[in-house]
This record gives sequence, structure tokens and C-alpha cells, in this order.
Amino acid sequence: MKTLIIIPAYNEAENIAAVIKQLENSSAKIDYVIINDCSRDDTSVICKQNEFSVVSLPINLGIGGGVQTGYLYALEHGYDIAVQMDGDGQHDPAYLNDLIEPIIHNKADIVIGSRFLTNEGFQSSEIRRVGIKFLSEILYLCTGIRVKDVTSGYRAVNRKFIEVYAKEYAQDYPEPEAIVVAAMHDARIREVPVIMHERSRGTSSITFWKSAYYMLKVSLAVVLYRITFHKERPKI
Amino acid sequence: MSWMFRIILILVPFLTTFWILRKIRKSQVRFEDAVFWLLFSLGLIMMSIFPQLIDWTADLIGIVSPVKFVFLAIIFVLLIKEFLLSIKVSQLEYKLRTFAQTYVIQSRVDMENIKKMETREAHLVASKPSIFKFIWLLEV
Repeated sequence: MKTLIIIPAYNEAENIAAVIKQLENSSAKIDYVIINDCSRDDTSVICKQNEFSVVSLPINLGIGGGVQTGYLYALEHGYDIAVQMDGDGQHDPAYLNDLIEPIIHNKADIVIGSRFLTNEGFQSSEIRRVGIKFLSEILYLCTGIRVKDVTSGYRAVNRKFIEVYAKEYAQDYPEPEAIVVAAMHDARIREVPVIMHERSRGTSSITFWKSAYYMLKVSLAVVLYRITFHKERPKI
Repeated sequence: MSWMFRIILILVPFLTTFWILRKIRKSQVRFEDAVFWLLFSLGLIMMSIFPQLIDWTADLIGIVSPVKFVFLAIIFVLLIKEFLLSIKVSQLEYKLRTFAQTYVIQSRVDMENIKKMETREAHLVASKPSIFKFIWLLEV
């Protein structure tokens, strides 16, 4: 099965080379594409120098638009599986096989790399974990699907959901919403344990002050999407 | 109401309408987007010339103070306008995003095709006898 790794990158000049090297070392025969979201630093230069496979957006679209570009790329090039992986070194390519395997064996449509199944590695701050738990509950209420690490951006999807996400993908903080969208399209979602690293360098795109807005926006979006999609809630 | 105040009340909507019209012409606003503002300024003129209209409508609805009715009506109209504008901005953002995405994917595919063609030609040149190579080089 043709597999593509989608690596959204915005101002990741310090991390991107290491991420790609690590990826190439872990498995030689895997395709990847970096979505350079109009970075203002040297991300584009570094990608060109190293001859990385990169698509450079002419305008900054934000994480959602960037990832969606990756799905459009996968759709256009006929990939069967697409894996999202952050460009900041948080996600270890060692787990790629774990993510892809359930899809290859047709046991899941979407596989999410979760920090909270074994509770190992970087766990995020206490307050964020509370927020993630809250969102997880909202998702469960709205869709009947239990996902522990709803904000994880390390996930693999099959061809069907490459098509879905190429058409429809949330813009700001898209990860939890993407799960709802998937649930409304009857996705079989599975979580596999992964260990995440704290980002190597640079700062997270979500600052403390944005967190409150994040929670409000995502909760509202999840509930609204559920209400407006006109679909029976699955029996639990 | 003093005469002075009356004159100002009539003069200001006229000047506003004139200014809106001029601005629309100068900045090449599409007529579709200008219609609202034309109607809005006409409304202001009507209200200034025939204030009885306001009194009459306020009385009809049951609002005691016509001034409050004017505020309420105008705020409501502007609120709706603001909301429609917000929708428009969102749609524009969507269009721009889709355009940017289609553009990068398409240019990437084009680049890949060119590369494929180049390697095919290079391969052709390397594999053919020298006379073909000569002709090919002439063509290039």
C-alpha cells in the first residue's frame, strides 16, 4: 500500500532537517511531503538545500489548511494511506508501523497515536491534560467514540478518509474536530500507544492564553457539527 | 426643534449620501455591494425630511420615544449587515485557501511531469545511435 507522511511545518527551520533525517533512517522506502505553510524563517531554504520533498504554500493557511493541503496531495497522487506527523520532532517515526498496521489489515479507518494509553513519555502539563479529558468526554457524548488523546496530531488515515479530509478539514485547532467529522462518516477509529517527545526547539503554537479560547472554540465546534450533521447518534 | 438643528439634520444625510456615492464611484465598488449603502443613505434622508414617519411608526409599534426607535432600527440593520459581511469574509477566506491549495498541488504535479519528461529524453538520447542524438540536439 502506498503510504504518504504529511508533515506540516510553520517556522520549523531548527527542527525540520532532524525530523526528516530521523524519518529516512527509520524506513527508507516511505514517501513524505513537507507542507511549508509560508514560513517566515529558513524552513524553505533548508528544504531546498537538502532536496526534501516539499510543497510551499504561497500564503499562510494555518495548521488546518496546511494539513488539508497534504491530504489533497495524497489524493492527487493516489496514496492509500496518509499519516500526519508534526514537523517539530514531537512524533517519533519508530511508531509509524504501529499506526499503519491496523489500516493495512483493514481493522481501522483512522489510527491515532495516543500518549495516554500507557502514560509514558511527554504527557503535557496538568491543566492541558484536564482540558484534553474534557474534550474527550464531549466527543464521547456527541459521537459515542472513545478517544483519549483527542489533540494528538499523530494519526494515520485510509483512502476513504483521505478523500473526506481533502474535502473538509477544520482550520484552527483541527484535531478534535477531525475526529467528529470522521465519526459522522462512520469511521472505525483506533488508538495505539506512542511516546511523544517534548518539542525539540521553538515554541508550541498554542500558548497558555490561547488555551481558554481553544477549549471554547473546539467544544462549540464539536457540538455544533454534531447537531448540524443530521445523523442519528449511535447506540452505546 | 430650532431651525438651525432642523437644517443640520437635513443637511448631514445629504452630505453623507453624496460622500457615499462619490466613494463608491472612486473606489470601484461593485454595484451589488453598493446597493445597501445607497438605500441606507436614502433612508436617512427620508427620516430627516419627514420626521413624522418616525413618530408614526414608533407609535404604531408602541414605542413611546421615537428617538429610541431610530436607534433600535438602525442598530438592527447594521447588525444584520455586519453579520452578512462576516459571512462574506469567511467565504472569501475559503476561496483563497482553496485557490492556494489547488495552485501548489497543481504546480507540484507540473514540476513532476517536467522532471519525468526530462529523464525520459535523457534516457532516449543515451540509448539511441549518434545520428539520432545529433538530430535531437539540433531540435533542442
